[in-house]
Amino acid sequence: MARTPLVFGLGLAVALLVGWVAFPRVLYVQRHQPLEFRHKTHAEKSGIVQCSECHAFRDDGTFAGIPSIAICTACHSERIGTTNAEATLVENYIKPGQETPWLVYARQPANVWFPHAVHVQRAALECRECHSPYGESDEVRIYQLNRVSGYSRDIWGPSISRLRRAPHEGMKMSDCEDCHRRRNVEVGCIGCHQ
Amino acid sequence: MKVTRRDLLVWSAGATAGLLFTPVPWKLLDDVSIWSQNWPWIPQPTRGPVDVKLSFCTLCPNGCGMRVRMAGGWPVGVAGAGCHPVSRGALCPLGFAAHQLNWHPRRLSRVCYRGNTSSWGEARVAFTKACGEGPIMIIDGHPGRAASSAFETFVQRRGSYRVVPGQETRALAPYGTWSGIPAAALGYDLENAGTIVSFGAPLLDGWGTPGRLTRLWAERAAGLADPQLHLIQVEPSFSRTAARAWQYVTIRAGGEGAVAEGVARVLLEEHLVPARGPMPSLTLVEVAEQAGVSTDAIRDLARTIVARPPVVAVADDNNPAIAALNVVLGAVGARGGIVRRSKHIRQDVCAEAAIRGMRAVLIDSTVPWDFVPQTDAEVFRFAAWDGGSTKADWLLPAPGFLEDLTDVPTAPTSGMETYAVAPSLAEAPTEVQSAAQFLSSIDPTLVTVDKVIHTRCSEIFRQRMGTLWGQDVTPVAKFVSVQKLEEELWKGAVWIGEPHHAGGLRCQLNDWPEAIGPARTSNASPPWLVPVLPSLASKLYQESGLRESPEGRSA
Amino acid sequence: MSARYGMVIDLDRCTGCGACMMACAAENNVPPVPRATPRTGLTPMLVRKVSNGGEGVDRREVFIPIMCMHCERETPCVGVCPQQAVEVDKATGIVMQMPQRCLGCRYCMTACPYHARYFNWWDPQWPAGMEKALNPGVAVRMRGVVEKCNLCHARLHSATQKAAATGKREINPADYVPACVEACPTAAIRFGNLADKHDPLSLEVRSPDTFRFLTRLGTEPKVYYKSKEAWVRALAESNSGSGVETKRG
Repeated sequence: MARTPLVFGLGLAVALLVGWVAFPRVLYVQRHQPLEFRHKTHAEKSGIVQCSECHAFRDDGTFAGIPSIAICTACHSERIGTTNAEATLVENYIKPGQETPWLVYARQPANVWFPHAVHVQRAALECRECHSPYGESDEVRIYQLNRVSGYSRDIWGPSISRLRRAPHEGMKMSDCEDCHRRRNVEVGCIGCHQ
Repeated sequence: MKVTRRDLLVWSAGATAGLLFTPVPWKLLDDVSIWSQNWPWIPQPTRGPVDVKLSFCTLCPNGCGMRVRMAGGWPVGVAGAGCHPVSRGALCPLGFAAHQLNWHPRRLSRVCYRGNTSSWGEARVAFTKACGEGPIMIIDGHPGRAASSAFETFVQRRGSYRVVPGQETRALAPYGTWSGIPAAALGYDLENAGTIVSFGAPLLDGWGTPGRLTRLWAERAAGLADPQLHLIQVEPSFSRTAARAWQYVTIRAGGEGAVAEGVARVLLEEHLVPARGPMPSLTLVEVAEQAGVSTDAIRDLARTIVARPPVVAVADDNNPAIAALNVVLGAVGARGGIVRRSKHIRQDVCAEAAIRGMRAVLIDSTVPWDFVPQTDAEVFRFAAWDGGSTKADWLLPAPGFLEDLTDVPTAPTSGMETYAVAPSLAEAPTEVQSAAQFLSSIDPTLVTVDKVIHTRCSEIFRQRMGTLWGQDVTPVAKFVSVQKLEEELWKGAVWIGEPHHAGGLRCQLNDWPEAIGPARTSNASPPWLVPVLPSLASKLYQESGLRESPEGRSA
Repeated sequence: MSARYGMVIDLDRCTGCGACMMACAAENNVPPVPRATPRTGLTPMLVRKVSNGGEGVDRREVFIPIMCMHCERETPCVGVCPQQAVEVDKATGIVMQMPQRCLGCRYCMTACPYHARYFNWWDPQWPAGMEKALNPGVAVRMRGVVEKCNLCHARLHSATQKAAATGKREINPADYVPACVEACPTAAIRFGNLADKHDPLSLEVRSPDTFRFLTRLGTEPKVYYKSKEAWVRALAESNSGSGVETKRG
């Protein structure tokens, strides 16, 4: 058998292996959320149906994002469970009145202006169309931090190749553009950048 | 099997080709570009709920109404509050960046004793000792506040209380002397004036409450061929006000008083006004000689100013000749002139630079830095920013902009009495204490600022006079409880007293007053009253050349 | 319906106080630069002083606030940008500069007839802790990019958001007022929608006292000036720099 193609193929194989398997593991560093928060449990136990009951809009149309500790305190002012997470929540955050340092999966760079009000309240998009049905799950996802860009893996999407991804996967500018093009909504730079 | 050089090259070629079919180069390119668009060392604004609060600028005694935009609990933007009846939604350029002053590099954050770091405890011990050993003096820059009340109470058996008046208050001093009514109770009724003759006062450039005259001028004079308001500027240099005035009279530096005399003489000789004041001592020729203008120009000026009454002359500083001109013009105690705006104001004693016979002098943070006491007493100087003086023994860090609760009494030039409360909106650094807090820690029985404010609110409520200007205009008589009134005031409403008592002011003058010292010579730009300027003022000074940089007040 | 935001600056009312410059810089997180000069500074809103050259009583002076004129046609900066970092926004008419896309070649600065574009010579720096006092609605720019007036787009964003919260597409005009307009103590700077025939601004731009700078270039600026003084109106077609007391080129 010819030696050259073999060596070439070996190099090729090593590169493919490194690029597809090792690279994503090296690029992203895994971070755990400060608390074991379960969306499903909360929905079932407290009868919350709408995302906006906790992830609320303020009067001026701004979106509050992850709820502040005050909303947690409404029910958890004292421990109401026996888990470790419950103890951490009450002792570390609620009692000292400190905000929980959540890692925000969908955090965009500072020059991006994403108005939730325009998309949700005016255009009536569902939360899950961008955020996946995460609100129905009963697990805390691991936050994957991109070592180079400093942003969450959710921005790029779980698939490193970005091929065959679900509509809610990925939050890059091209994803915004694709959706806008599909819905025939035209915005200029100023529409999304600040 | 031996690995040859050729193998390595072929292997690399294969790896390179393979790499192109992996996400590595493409993903890295993308990530690097995102990283480069958001350099980690570029400061990022903090996120948080945005809220707008009404407050008042406390940098100078004018207390312009402010709308403060807060994000995440911190002030991030300032704009004028249109509901303020005196400042009317305008601010001076400094106000717009005032919220950034608290982070100024010259912010004081620790107690200093003769250049060395000390502590509040030691300062307290030193001041308590001084109080026991001899008389003390407290010097205040913004008299009439709740803190001023606390100062006066503190010194009652311990020494004396003095104020450092601003230029605008000093300009009203002659009327005070002649009428016996404190200058602090006087103001200008500019809203009703037909002609304003300014003798070097920077009327359109930060004089008094900056928004008051600029708004008035914009509505009644700017760009109109026959304006309702004649603004005449008599000034040696072609200032910003001179450039925009209806008429500009150029004179020799220091000739303001002479021009006033000349105009008064023409008015009396030509019977342009009823004879009610003393005849000036200078002849027109002497006036022309001293002021560097022709006698014809003075005659013209006199005839012009009476063309649209009421007329009021505005001096830049304490200048009795200009005050006497107002007496001749009949502008004292008249509509559109100098009015008495409030009934109950005590006479404040002005501080002299030379202070004798005092054991200690406490200077409040509102006193401008150009007031430097010449004394052998121990000086305790409160300041939020280091103004560059080394004369103080103790330099005590005071709360900065919007970091301390204060009330805002009537602005020095205002024609109506006002009262407002400026609550603290920003968190003060832990090392910071106001003079009133410091005195309270020495004398725990001393009345506190919030108590005085409460007393004053109750007094306003009890008298049931005036109106409250907030989101709506409500007469005080409509309020059912003092709590409700206080609540409105704490939310940024302004209380306006009853209309001024124009008739309550009379100045009797038999002889033309003697001139006192030369007035301020340089009047290109009024000096700022804050010791340091917001760093953004660099836009005005070094990046645009719009204003000449004030010396020693580096941006 | 798309808007065409514009301004009328009444020069007879401008006292040259500089409040617009300060308010603009504070609103848009423009950093103070200790080393900057008139050639290297960053002043998206810049007030220039112009004199008629007279002496004594003949002397007249006018202050001219200069900002991006938001040229509607043949926008010079858009054409030369190799990065597509500038565009005339279709919905608002705002000439939008995207600093993050800019590579810093400064062609646009050369192309701009009004010298209304500025280069970031230094990384922005504020005293430690002052990030808290920055406007969260405007991203901070880095060294090496060009920036200019974006017509306080953060305020447009807030207004859009507020309208959307009630399901509306049209913003309330009272919610969108640029910082310089809000700051002007004499109301010399007026702002409005030129595409709206009922907007007072649309009437004002047709006044005989209203003019625009360098209209011969055909760029249709949306920032108008106004003066009753003929010598001021004559400045409109003078070449930039002549008679203008400025240290910039």
